[in-house]
Amino acid sequence: MCKKCKCCSKLPWWSKLLIATTGIFGLLFTVYFFNLDMKLTAMMEPWLLKWYDHVDRDKHL
Amino acid sequence: MAKKIGSEALGRFYKEGSKVRTRREWRGVKDTAYDFSRWLVIMGTLGKFIIKPRNMKAMLRYRWMANYLAVPMMVDRHTQGLRGEYLRMCHAEQDLIIDDVAKLLDKLFKGDRRIGNDEEFSKKVVLVDENEMTAVMMGFPMLETLSRETPSTYVPVLLNQHSMEYYMDIAEEFGLAPDVCPMPEAEAGVSINDDAPVLGACAIQCNTTCDGSLLGNGVISKRLELEDGIPVFQLAAPLRHREDDVQEYAAQEIRNAIAFIEKHTGAKWDWDAYFECAKRVNLATRCRQEWLDMNKTDYPQVFGSNLALYTETNYMAICGRVPAFAKVDRKLTKLAEKAYKKKKMMAKEYRHRAIIWGVQSHYYFDFLLWLLNCWGIVPLTDMLSMVSTKEIAEVDTPENREQAYYDMAWLTENMIMRNRTHGGYKVLLDELWDFVEEFNADMVILWEHMSCKALDGMHGMFEDRAREKGINLVWVEHDLFDPRIISRQGVRDQINNYMRTVMREEPIDPSLEVLPDDQSW
Repeated sequence: MCKKCKCCSKLPWWSKLLIATTGIFGLLFTVYFFNLDMKLTAMMEPWLLKWYDHVDRDKHL
Repeated sequence: MAKKIGSEALGRFYKEGSKVRTRREWRGVKDTAYDFSRWLVIMGTLGKFIIKPRNMKAMLRYRWMANYLAVPMMVDRHTQGLRGEYLRMCHAEQDLIIDDVAKLLDKLFKGDRRIGNDEEFSKKVVLVDENEMTAVMMGFPMLETLSRETPSTYVPVLLNQHSMEYYMDIAEEFGLAPDVCPMPEAEAGVSINDDAPVLGACAIQCNTTCDGSLLGNGVISKRLELEDGIPVFQLAAPLRHREDDVQEYAAQEIRNAIAFIEKHTGAKWDWDAYFECAKRVNLATRCRQEWLDMNKTDYPQVFGSNLALYTETNYMAICGRVPAFAKVDRKLTKLAEKAYKKKKMMAKEYRHRAIIWGVQSHYYFDFLLWLLNCWGIVPLTDMLSMVSTKEIAEVDTPENREQAYYDMAWLTENMIMRNRTHGGYKVLLDELWDFVEEFNADMVILWEHMSCKALDGMHGMFEDRAREKGINLVWVEHDLFDPRIISRQGVRDQINNYMRTVMREEPIDPSLEVLPDDQSW
């Protein structure tokens, strides 16, 4: 928590834990619900396919 | 509102030209929370896998590994519209399969000469075909039974419909016939492209499904034996597997395969381990039989993808060797019984009871769920799930040790798909109509895999028999691994046309009739 923020420092530990947990939950649920994980990996795929084209291979029957 | 089955138009999540869907489904608080929790578990499994440097190295070495980016989407495809027990059944099996494949990949890369190069580990590895019963490994718990084709060829198509196009083109570039089945063609392509992990003390190949698989095996075994120095045993199971006079030969093939493995690994066959596995094989058989019995009633429970995908994995690739699958067998049965008692339904309306026959399109495995959600056609069972229901000897006695060779041979002969495409018209044609009666079906959806000669040869006979019996027979053409030949929409159109013109029906969910998923994973 930020040291300058008086509101944060006054909060009991369990409130801080609750806020952090809610924040993480909210973030993960947003990623889940809006399919952001798949949207990100879909962006990675073309990069990976280009990478494979440059890997040395012993290609033959 | 979305808690109710069918309350959301499922077609609206697709976007033209996109690989992925716009968002995940809202299933009501309880089911969405459950689905979210399982997504977290899957992400954990994937995270645990990729955090290992050697797995990351493999990710950058093997082109087919890119398809594993799509794992969560595969689960989403198979859980479309599901609620309650059906959603839980799907996750119970899919999450286990994901975990099992992640372990398989991890072990392959551990022993792979290019990646982990753990020589001691590699000496314990026996490579098996992807399309092969692993019954012959039931008595070798000290060895690792690994398939290279399952994670490089078979699973990627479930993840990404376009995954094998590159490898099929490679195989054809090197002169392999383009009209051969795309599955062995792609497997050969992986080997030609030097994209198969290299490890193992020896390998067992099987004359599994067709002449196409023999083609693929020839290309792969040449490289294994002559270049990698890994000896290969060809397990040749008889074609007419229902005939009594072939069983002694089949059992001898199993004895030979075991002797081959013992010779090349130094391991000794363990009867205790074998009979433990046999108990789990029988448990899986009893559970599957109970699910099929439920599907004969007005309230089917384990069907569609929930039946097909799990049976393929559990029956063939696992074959009693992994205790976790026995646990899931029991869990699925419990969930099914619970839903059956409450007379629950997977979709809001059931209009037709269908038997799905033939070799299904691999790039459109969730088609079974589409049939249900779009048209209310209940896929009661499919050809690949109608495997052996015979219980094998599970008590260790001198007589049963001899019987065990026959049981392993029986399982190998009755491998998924092989038990129908081999064995003549009785197992492929006649038994279909017995199942139509048993399951009280009014429709047969007949996959016509255009590169599968064993099935295509009987096209006219299927039609004659359907006419005689007054059953609605719908042909659905596809090319197994290659959506460039017939797209997913091309598959759907064949059903859409039949349902509109012959049955004069309107879809239950019209948003699913035409989907812009040509570019989708």
